Amino acid sequence: MFKLFKKDLILFFHDRRSVMLTFLLPVILITLFAFAYGSIGTYNGRSEPVKLLVADLDQTLTSKKIIYKIDSLKDVSITLSDSAKSKELVTKGKYACALIIYKGFQDSLESAKTTRVELVYDRSREMEIGILQQNLISTLMSSTGEIIVKKNIEKYLKDQFADIDKGTRDNILNTVIIKDNNKLALKWTSIVGMKNNTKLGLIQAVAGTAILMLLFSVALVGTSILEEKENGTINRLLYSPLKGSSILYGKMLFAFFISILQLTSMFLFAGLMFKMDLSINIPALILMILATAFAVSSLGIFLAAIAKTRQQAQNLSTILILIMSAIGGSMIPLFIMPSILQKIALLSVNYWGIQGFYDIFWRALPLELILPKILILMGIGIIMTSASIQLFKKRL
Amino acid sequence: MIQVRSVSKSFGNIEAVKNVSFTIDKGEIFGILGPNGAGKSTIVNILNTLVKPDKGDVIIDGVNINDDVDSIKLIMGVVPQEIALYEELSAYENLMFWGGLYNIPKQELKANVNNTLEIVDLVNRKDDRIKNFSGGMKRRINIACSLLHGPKILVLDEPTVGVDPQNRNHIFEVIERLNNEGMTIIYTTHYMEEAERFCDKIAIIDVGRIIAQGTLKELRKISDAKDILTIKLADSDNKIIYGITSANPLFKFDHTSDTLKVECVNISSDISIIINHIQNSGGIIESISTQGTNLESIYLKLTGKELRD
Repeated sequence: MFKLFKKDLILFFHDRRSVMLTFLLPVILITLFAFAYGSIGTYNGRSEPVKLLVADLDQTLTSKKIIYKIDSLKDVSITLSDSAKSKELVTKGKYACALIIYKGFQDSLESAKTTRVELVYDRSREMEIGILQQNLISTLMSSTGEIIVKKNIEKYLKDQFADIDKGTRDNILNTVIIKDNNKLALKWTSIVGMKNNTKLGLIQAVAGTAILMLLFSVALVGTSILEEKENGTINRLLYSPLKGSSILYGKMLFAFFISILQLTSMFLFAGLMFKMDLSINIPALILMILATAFAVSSLGIFLAAIAKTRQQAQNLSTILILIMSAIGGSMIPLFIMPSILQKIALLSVNYWGIQGFYDIFWRALPLELILPKILILMGIGIIMTSASIQLFKKRL
Repeated sequence: MIQVRSVSKSFGNIEAVKNVSFTIDKGEIFGILGPNGAGKSTIVNILNTLVKPDKGDVIIDGVNINDDVDSIKLIMGVVPQEIALYEELSAYENLMFWGGLYNIPKQELKANVNNTLEIVDLVNRKDDRIKNFSGGMKRRINIACSLLHGPKILVLDEPTVGVDPQNRNHIFEVIERLNNEGMTIIYTTHYMEEAERFCDKIAIIDVGRIIAQGTLKELRKISDAKDILTIKLADSDNKIIYGITSANPLFKFDHTSDTLKVECVNISSDISIIINHIQNSGGIIESISTQGTNLESIYLKLTGKELRD
């Protein structure tokens, strides 16, 4: 029994793939998830403050004072913008929310009318909105509520007790303001995901899983090139009038076709099973499927091109796919990750694919606004394919 | 038909082929004989344009391979050393696929597929998947795939490795049939008996160099290899053995096999003299076996080592 154990132990440590998959990969993923879920960090489970857009249309002392107070919060970082731009940036998913202080805000406070302040937000960014609820709202309430109450009481004291001294009046004001400072009605407006019936979690599940599984499928197609090399069929293909690049294009075409088929069937399944509204932007959906399939298949071929053996390609693809999917948003939604990981995510196919599908199904953006992501995916595909051809020319 | 002139090829620091030259006439079976790693496959890959030589020229059917790779590919059929087939496809599907790469019209290709299946005698197994074939049958389909475009030259790179005797004979019959139909054949092997059986000319290659080439008769002459008589004595007494070997240096005692070995120019005329010499020295012969000059002995003579070393 001990001899068997010893033999298996030796074999295990001789097999680099097993060692990497057993120890290295989990360590990498744990680190990524730890960052993503915020166990490493200081801002309410995040490693950085929530970014808030602020459009100050009022431009008064009160509005500026409020903005200053919000800016001094450690969990919130503000960026000034105008109203239209703020709404556009939230709609495009660049920011989770924007605070719009409308013209007449100070006047409305002083006249004790309904305050003119609105928070437009993307309800998919729950975590950021939650943090804002804790910090921003209390700040806003205390600031505005104080003004409203102060104005009302001052008016009352002036009318009823005109000769009251300043010290007594301030004491009355301070006491009342502390007890009654929550009169502000902040208007909350969700401006993303309102045009369709598809649930956010469903989009994340379908797009995230589809791209993750797609990567595994095309990695198999990629490694099949190395399998053909190992069993001699690649050489036999080269004995024929076929060119080396044609072999690669043939494989690429197959990977592309399988990817389209897989993505389409996954979305059709989601449409039939979970009533996902696929008709929301059909041209964009078709282009997005084509671009994602192209980028993912080129990545699969590229993996095969940089690996020398099938075993090496399998190791490489497992590690790369899992890491890319973890940081790219296939496993966990991207918006909960720290900004450094969100920046690294830009290098992954998953990111552009998932964000593209979010743009279609959640943000309901028009094609022209989704087009940059489609073009980036195409660009990734072209770069990977060109690099693969060059590498294969040397290897075949 | 084929002229190879002073061809060399290196891979990094390894000189795989060194200044190799040979000529193959139309309709000839040319054997390239050498141990594993001698450079046989590199020569094959140079001939089929897969590897570009560093130096030298290769002219096939009047065309320099550097000038027109495509036309060379059309006149060459290559049977690789590996069984380069798709195991999950049937024999027929494999043949249709490999033949299809040569842009043969579909009807013509179908006829060629049926014809080659008949040549390799696997018509009745054409719809079976390759994975269900025996090693020998796979080898036969491996050959069939290289015949579909009607090549003038067929290159077979060790086509009988791991094949049982029955299938080996089948493969030999196919090669002989194709040669009788006028096809030029290049055959690499490390099996001497195969080269002896049907090669018109043989090139012996060792560590990238051709050390001798010609017909078997010419090679015998070049190597000066002789027939060997092996004699087993009833009693391997040291005194008797010494008496035999000291009187005639042509007699050598092989301690490993406990036999006497005698090199002869002509066994039939020399055998009675040899027997007399042993008997006169007090030896009693238990058995005698003869080994004529063959490629094994020629190779041994030329390289000083056994082919399977």
